[in-house]
Amino acid sequence: MTGSVGQAPVIRAHGVWKVFGPRAERIVGTPEADLPRRELLERTGCVAAVRDVSFEVWPGEVFVVMGLSGSGKSTLVRTLIRLIEPTAGEIEIAGRDVTRASRSELRALRRHEVGMVFQHFGLLAHRRVLDNVAFGLEVRGVPKAERQARAREVLRLVGLEDVADRFPDQLSGGMQQRVGVARAFAVDPAVLLYDEPFSALDPLIRRDMQDEICRLQAETGKTMIFITHDLSEALRLGDRIAIMRDGSIVQLGTPEELVGSPADAYVANFTRDIPRSHVLTLRWVMRKPAPGEELDGPRLDVRTTVRDAVPVLAASEKPVCAVEDGRVVGLVERDAVLRAIASGDER
Amino acid sequence: MASVAADTVSTRPLSHRPWWRGRLVGVGVVVALMVASYRLGVTTDANGVAVARFPWPEELVWNAFPGHLDAFQTWLLDQRNAEDPSIVFALFNGFATLVDSLVSWLDRFLLWLTWVGTAATATLVALRFGGVRAAAWVAGALAAFALMGLWEESMQTVALMLAAVALSLAVGIPVGIAAGLSTRVQRAVTPVLDTMQIVPAFAYLMPVVILFSVGPGAAVVATMIYAIPPAVRITALGIRSVAPNTVEAATSLGATRPQILAKVQLPLARRMLMLGVNQTILFALSMVVIAGLIGGGGLGDLVTSGLYSSPAMAILAGAAIVIVAMALDRATEATASRTDPTRRHLDDSARRTLRFLTVGAAAAAAASVALAKELGAPAAYPEGRSAQEWLLARIQSALDYVQDPARFLFAVTEPLGNAILVHLVQPLQSFLILGPWFTTLAGVTAIALVVSGVRPALTTLAMFVAIGVVGMWEPAMDTFSQVLVATGIAVAIGIALGIAASESALVSRALRPVNDVLQTLPQLVYIIPFVYLMPVSIVPGIVAGVLYAFPVVVRLVERGLRDVAPEAVEAASAFGASRTQLIAKVKVPLAGDAIMLGINQGIIMVLAVVVIGGLVGSGGLGYLVTEGLVRGQFGQGVAASLAILALGIALDRVTQATRQAGKEVLA
Ligand SMILES: Nc1ncnc2c1ncn2[C@@H]1O[C@H](COP(=O)(O)OP(=O)(O)OP(=O)(O)O)[C@@H](O)[C@H]1O
Ligand SMILES: [Mg+2]
Repeated sequence: MTGSVGQAPVIRAHGVWKVFGPRAERIVGTPEADLPRRELLERTGCVAAVRDVSFEVWPGEVFVVMGLSGSGKSTLVRTLIRLIEPTAGEIEIAGRDVTRASRSELRALRRHEVGMVFQHFGLLAHRRVLDNVAFGLEVRGVPKAERQARAREVLRLVGLEDVADRFPDQLSGGMQQRVGVARAFAVDPAVLLYDEPFSALDPLIRRDMQDEICRLQAETGKTMIFITHDLSEALRLGDRIAIMRDGSIVQLGTPEELVGSPADAYVANFTRDIPRSHVLTLRWVMRKPAPGEELDGPRLDVRTTVRDAVPVLAASEKPVCAVEDGRVVGLVERDAVLRAIASGDER
Repeated sequence: MASVAADTVSTRPLSHRPWWRGRLVGVGVVVALMVASYRLGVTTDANGVAVARFPWPEELVWNAFPGHLDAFQTWLLDQRNAEDPSIVFALFNGFATLVDSLVSWLDRFLLWLTWVGTAATATLVALRFGGVRAAAWVAGALAAFALMGLWEESMQTVALMLAAVALSLAVGIPVGIAAGLSTRVQRAVTPVLDTMQIVPAFAYLMPVVILFSVGPGAAVVATMIYAIPPAVRITALGIRSVAPNTVEAATSLGATRPQILAKVQLPLARRMLMLGVNQTILFALSMVVIAGLIGGGGLGDLVTSGLYSSPAMAILAGAAIVIVAMALDRATEATASRTDPTRRHLDDSARRTLRFLTVGAAAAAAASVALAKELGAPAAYPEGRSAQEWLLARIQSALDYVQDPARFLFAVTEPLGNAILVHLVQPLQSFLILGPWFTTLAGVTAIALVVSGVRPALTTLAMFVAIGVVGMWEPAMDTFSQVLVATGIAVAIGIALGIAASESALVSRALRPVNDVLQTLPQLVYIIPFVYLMPVSIVPGIVAGVLYAFPVVVRLVERGLRDVAPEAVEAASAFGASRTQLIAKVKVPLAGDAIMLGINQGIIMVLAVVVIGGLVGSGGLGYLVTEGLVRGQFGQGVAASLAILALGIALDRVTQATRQAGKEVLA
């Protein structure tokens, strides 16, 4: 789903900065902006939560942002719809210039184009589940009957039609977050922003919810930005992953790229506990066939993970042929696979 | 004020070296110097009576000041009564007239309903919104008014309170919302609110009377000055305590600011807003008696006018005020929790049921009014059928008992009152009044400097000089000495009970209702019984001040002690310290900040009550204000009011550091 040529990105962020603190706008563009966080804080009393971040998100893509606590993930997504005003940079969503949007344009964008799901749900305790889900339509001025019908429809989508008349505090955490997801879906936005939606949930429920998101994404084809600090979650969901550190993106790539060739020790540290064979595919370990080389080994799709290819390789004397669209695009040798798996463990 | 202030002021574990210990030594040195100079400053006159060798010098008094004030007041009256008054005066007049007619309209309306109709309506409203217990409180209160034969006066008071509370909320809630939404507004209104709360009511009675002339209008304005701050503060707190992530979620869905306010912040802050209403009512009620002094009428008037002429009646009216306060407190508190939309879980059918109940209650109320009018029920419950005579006789016999020197109780109260007077107040009074003015001035300034720093010291100096210049040095020193004695007693009791409460859950539980009741009672109500119980001039005011202030000190001390870091206590126990040693050597020093904060809050509360004592013979500044009000000596009254204001500011500044320490502990 990556970067289909000829299609415009849904979200484009270019050189986005967010500096918190006194006279923050003075800092961007001066040498001070390049100081490490602590020094900047000591010298100017400012915190650069997001520094010079640029990326594009393509239609239907799930774009994951990862990083340690305090690396600026939440701040970054919030600047996208100006829940936090960016200090500098350009942001475009669905072809609209967000940074220069007037108040009412911004409101229209939030009402129609973008939905957001929050870590702490942010549900309204004085409203029924149904009215919580219908809230986005209500602020748009949709008539009551219509918005309630739509809310019920979305509740059915997330499997909560039975609790429509309950109140948030009568639901479990997992159910509350489903309400949060339903609320964002109710206005049928093109883009969904998730800020660590599942980190307040216990691991089992979290897995359920991830499946739910995968399913909803498959059914509705929405573009998503998903924030997490859980790598396995990132790998499960993300088409591409951006890793942030101290406000900057240190690496942006597919799961395989991150696991296969981490840009630095920070990224490597993130991916250390992930068995490489679960993430790397044949594409990552194959070599170009030499001219005239025989291509008669067992055939596997190029997207097969190394782990799944191991039994085949073990059973075969010959190198495995990696196939894409019916064509052999590469050969996979045993020692290449062994090296790929082992190099992960060396660290 | 007390309960809110104390609730928002909590203390956290303190592990640093007590900052105030060095300052305490400094204060001790200053006081010692003052005592030494006192010996040099006093002489005796021809009759052997001690007199001051250095009273506040005549040359430093602006003698023309009261005259100017009188002239100003005459001018003001002329302006107000002029054929066509200027816009400013037209506004003041208009407001006073408006409020006067609002109050009298409400009063007439309550009487028009007939007593049966009023009772039925009030009980049904309480039942619908506050539940059975609230309705029981309201019905009980109304029954008590009927029984006491004070129906008409109670209705007057209720009408006055309704108007004052409604206007206070009309100002306080919007300002509170603005302060809750904007930090800038918050920062702008906070000092104003602080000032409104440290100024004792007695200080602004005169100006209010001058601007609005005696009557319900003036009573309502004086009440509003006192009751608006809690309305603003609690509303702002309510708005601010709405979880920011709900506001953010609503924003992310494209809600406008007004939509967020109406659909998110106000409903979620609803309970707090109702508690704000509750506090506003209680604050307003504590002004009822004082309002009686400036034409508020009703129960307050019975108290102030009856204090000497018909003590039994004053006590009965005081009891009625207490009943109003308790009933309104319980009813609004119940309403606050019952109508909280975040806990009620209303679905459509429940909503319909409630609407039906509302209509039903309204219909029942209307029916009972109609029926009562049809059957010719009187406007007020007939006094002849009440138990007033009987109650007054009982109260009178109780009064006779306590004032009979042959009785045992008298043998307790009389010496106790005298002891306070002879051993505490009089020495301090003569120390402050007879001591050389310059050493007193220097001493107070030095104490402010030692305790709180340069700026508070300068403010204190300026305030005391101002007191002298307006010619109020002697009465101010008189009041000052009473405040010091009462604060000392309140703090001593507060610390003792606070320690007891922190050591024993039983004591803590036993004290809580006592504290609650003491803090719901209107300020002056404390004084009434002691006027008869300890009929020694100054003492009732002091006792009332102590009663008013000590619960706050208890609460702060208890919390401070409970929060003392357990490790420190454990370490000391490991060395084999006894319980007494633990308290004296570890806990009290560590809880020092809480105690210091208690002194700051207590001293201001005491001042407010002690000046009210002027009404019942406490002398000092309060007496001069009362004189000014009753005898129409405006110049003198205003000068005394200014002196009270100055004294209040000075006392607050001297102890300011303690408040700031408390705030730091908070942050
Ligand atoms: N309103 C604010 N004022 C000042 N500094 C802020 C503010 N909000 C965030 N920061 C700072 O910006 C940095 C990034 O915060 P942010 O909440 O974006 O981190 P995060 O990556 O989402 O962390 P987490 O995983 O804990 O949610 C942090 O250092 C934080 O202290
Ligand atoms: Mg975050």
